[in-house]
Amino acid sequence: MKRTKLLSAIFAIVMVVAMFALTACGGGNGGGGDVEPAGSGSAPAPAAGGTIVIGATGPLTGDASSYGISVNQGAQMAVDEINAAGGLNGIMLELKMKDDKAAATDAASAYDQLYDDGMQVSMGSVTSGACDAFAQRAVADGLFVLTPSASQQSIIEQGDTIFRLCFSDPEQGALAARDLAGKYEKIGVIYDTSDTYSTGLYEGFVAQMEELGKADAYTTRTFDQDNKKDFSAQVEALKDCDVIFCPFYYTEASLVCKACTNKGLTDMPIYGCDGLDGLAALLDDTIKNPITYITPLDVTSTDAKVAKFVEDYSARFGATPDQFAADGYDVIYVIFEALKAAGVDNADMSSADMSAAVTQVLAGGSFSYAGITGQMQWTAEGACDKILNVVQLQ
Amino acid sequence: MGEAKKKKPLANGSWKNYITYIVIVAFLIIMIILNLTVGLGRGDKSTLARIAFSCILAVSLNLVVGFLGELSLGHAGFMCVGAYLGCYTANILRGATALPDLVTVIIAMIIAGIVAAIFGFIIGLPALRLRGDYLAIATLAFGEIVRCVFKNLKVFGGAKGMSTKIYNNDTLFILAFIILLIVVFCCQNLINSKHGRAVIAIRDNEIAAKAMGVNVTFYKLLIFIVAAFFAGVAGVLYGSTIGTIRQETFSFNYSIEILVMVVLGGMGSINGSLIAATIITYLNILLQNQISGALAPVKNIVYALILIVIVIFSNAPALKGFRESIAPKALLAKLSKKKPDAGDIRSDEAKWDRIPTKIHIDEVLSADTRKGYANDPVPPGEDVVPMEATKDELYQPTNRKEEN
Amino acid sequence: MVIAIDGLSLGAIYALIALGYTMVYGIAKMLNFAHGDVIMVGAYMIYTLCSLTWTVGSLPIWAGALIAFVVSVVVCTLLGMFNEKVAYKPLRGASPLAALITAIGVSYLLQGVAQLIWGAEQRSISILDRLGTAKLGAYSIRWSSIITVVCGAILMTALTLFVKKTRTGRAMLAVSEDKGAAQMMGINVNKIVSITFAIGSGLATFAALFYLPTTAISPTLGSMPGIKAFAAAVIGGIGSIPGAVLGGILLGVVEVVCNSFEATASYTTAIEFALLIIILLVRPIGLLGKKRRVKV
Repeated sequence: MKRTKLLSAIFAIVMVVAMFALTACGGGNGGGGDVEPAGSGSAPAPAAGGTIVIGATGPLTGDASSYGISVNQGAQMAVDEINAAGGLNGIMLELKMKDDKAAATDAASAYDQLYDDGMQVSMGSVTSGACDAFAQRAVADGLFVLTPSASQQSIIEQGDTIFRLCFSDPEQGALAARDLAGKYEKIGVIYDTSDTYSTGLYEGFVAQMEELGKADAYTTRTFDQDNKKDFSAQVEALKDCDVIFCPFYYTEASLVCKACTNKGLTDMPIYGCDGLDGLAALLDDTIKNPITYITPLDVTSTDAKVAKFVEDYSARFGATPDQFAADGYDVIYVIFEALKAAGVDNADMSSADMSAAVTQVLAGGSFSYAGITGQMQWTAEGACDKILNVVQLQ
Repeated sequence: MGEAKKKKPLANGSWKNYITYIVIVAFLIIMIILNLTVGLGRGDKSTLARIAFSCILAVSLNLVVGFLGELSLGHAGFMCVGAYLGCYTANILRGATALPDLVTVIIAMIIAGIVAAIFGFIIGLPALRLRGDYLAIATLAFGEIVRCVFKNLKVFGGAKGMSTKIYNNDTLFILAFIILLIVVFCCQNLINSKHGRAVIAIRDNEIAAKAMGVNVTFYKLLIFIVAAFFAGVAGVLYGSTIGTIRQETFSFNYSIEILVMVVLGGMGSINGSLIAATIITYLNILLQNQISGALAPVKNIVYALILIVIVIFSNAPALKGFRESIAPKALLAKLSKKKPDAGDIRSDEAKWDRIPTKIHIDEVLSADTRKGYANDPVPPGEDVVPMEATKDELYQPTNRKEEN
Repeated sequence: MVIAIDGLSLGAIYALIALGYTMVYGIAKMLNFAHGDVIMVGAYMIYTLCSLTWTVGSLPIWAGALIAFVVSVVVCTLLGMFNEKVAYKPLRGASPLAALITAIGVSYLLQGVAQLIWGAEQRSISILDRLGTAKLGAYSIRWSSIITVVCGAILMTALTLFVKKTRTGRAMLAVSEDKGAAQMMGINVNKIVSITFAIGSGLATFAALFYLPTTAISPTLGSMPGIKAFAAAVIGGIGSIPGAVLGGILLGVVEVVCNSFEATASYTTAIEFALLIIILLVRPIGLLGKKRRVKV
């Protein structure tokens, strides 16, 4: 029993230290919390006008981390650009992004920490599940949230201060249904029953198909998060369809493509939503399926703004930006423009006041912003109006 | 700390049980005072609530792993059941009645506990037939099945998860700690009662316990039910802290995390579980907050390294001498220039370590007379040294070689 | 037919992983939770080395892939032995639970390091799937499945023969029966345990190669197949080599069949694990497990 006793002693010492740290953090609360190691990029120059803290959470580790890292990089790039250009009349912006592993639990505790760190406006969370927990707290505090990519419909319904930059899942699913029903007779659908994005898209798709009177034109197969490494069975079941609709992320879609190739279905068209952006990087020369997807960002676009973003991003991070990076980049600019439009000139404003001002601008109906993901406008409910492109990947 | 009670549970050790309560209450009071004076940050308060429900989970899992000696990898499954059904009840109650939030949450906890206990009964049944690793994988399977079923139930939001009301941040941690106190109280009393001794007897030697007339079926089920009940309660606390309940939270990784708390704290030690749960929960949150951005993967590495180092340090047979030399008792003895009492230093942890799980039960059963143990039929005074020697032969051939 | 081949091929992969679990359990009496992550490391190694040999070395695809694979097997074997020496060996003689916890620690560590080196975005590479499909009457079956099943069968037979016929193999059996007695008979237990870990990790690399045609590589690649292979090992009776093969194939077929039907696909995991529980309730020691008499 000595072992447990010794362990207890070690733990007791650690706990005392930990408690001390905890209380020290609590005591130093007014001071704005601990020093935050900057995610990447240059530290903002000390500004005369103070700093506005933009909070965010996203998956920086774990399975979904590529999305969170992209958003973080895109947003950080926007913040650095704005600060380099003098900020908001001398007021610097600061992005604080915490890891939430795409989990509600961690998003909730990250929110609380960000709140203690003096977050004034926020870009919510990257994934829907985490953003749900984030938004719930934000509504209670009256904090402004403009999420780059949490597209679950119910998130903006939580309160007046919650906005999104992306399309909602049902809208996009309905759009896909209209597009697909016009082109193909037999549609095969695979979706992820454990993922909110995927189920949202699928539900929108099904509702629209029923409205179109084509409820029997599609066949469905599913997978879930514990079972998403091998799609042979699903593709085998759908091999007689004219097209496979993949309402989920590109990581799994690349596996569907692989399964198609393995089955010799090299001309089976693959159709997807904005989650498929980034798919090209995962495919090699063996895959020849025609791929079509809906996306707000077209990296090959000749638009000067988009081209500059793609170039800068590639130069800085050594990778082609995906839609998440673009969303993150746009969110910061929208917040910046909205702060400008609201006439915010004081970095010490309370989070509730600043959020209220920004909310009013976005919900007002007259504010619009032309970002790299298109021309955007917001409804009072928080939904974003913008045009979606359909991109073809050969 | 409180381990001494295991040696002499009935004589003069009973007051030591109160130390745990005193420490928890003192900790809570300090936090309340700090909150009222300096003002705790919101993150600190939710950290405290998370610590409290982690402690409840660890203590309740310790009943199964430490005291009953069955390895369970599905504890998060019980929590999942409790969180979903409890918070669903709370949502209905909030819609239908105007009860104060505290009453709603408490009713939700009771219902969550009962439903989880029913599941505990169901998973306890195979526990009667399975041993060691087989039971471990069965409980793991149970946890995954629960998750998969909730994922497909539209009533609970399916993949989108279920939202519930966040309990007032200022008082949540107080509520959570009070519930923790109740849980610890129940567990301590259960373990120190006649029933607790029966449970420990089953762990140490099931066949002997059966022969002595202990109702093995009853006690195994009892422990599974009690542990599941508390896990269900913790599930409601989780829901009230986080506000969103999603099935992927309760994956087997979470069960493993709870198991890590129990093992690090020392199996069969409630105080150990409390301390380890506190530290691991705090460490997780600390790493999440201190390491962000591109360095985020580093925190997993740090966490993993801490885990490996602590376990090797505190368990490796080769480090036994070193551990003893820095043990508090030995240090104290050195300070007072007194040779440590031989009776105290004689350690049987190498054997004690094997007992809590039945992975090795067939080997352990062949020679299992230990000295100085709480419910041991051999009183501490009696000498069983020859037996010790045989056991060394039986158990530690490789180990002895390494030490030489 | 196609479902059967797909199921067999997935089953063969699970069986290869399950063999690693079962052998390590039989000899070291510990659950090596980090075993799934060795597959992940193997997959990353194959990916990196293939990319290197193809682009930098500009070798022909098959030569590059072969070199990459051989090097990966060696690296993973060494990694398995290194893990054993550093993380598990100090705990031999301590509680099996302590070793379980360090195994979990090693698993987290490998995942963290992998994310640090290769990043979080998924990678994908085509090696075996370049072979395309074979026409078998009306069915088209991919070559990679056929190779997986055939190679799997060869590896498992070889392993069985190795354990039964060679001195080292018999020493392994002896150690798994009674470590102390084996040592007294002059068997170097430490060496045998190292060899076991090496073989298990080598098999995991094979599993990684066969897994690549259907999957993408990410730091958490190994965790779910790891658990399912563990389940397979238990279904077959942990410690038993034919049991692991049987369990793996059973689980693979069930998974593919479940995924093929709309009604069952979203319950696949639940069905697999329910099957496990039912089998354990009927036969608490697994299908081919050895009964151990409890001595009093």
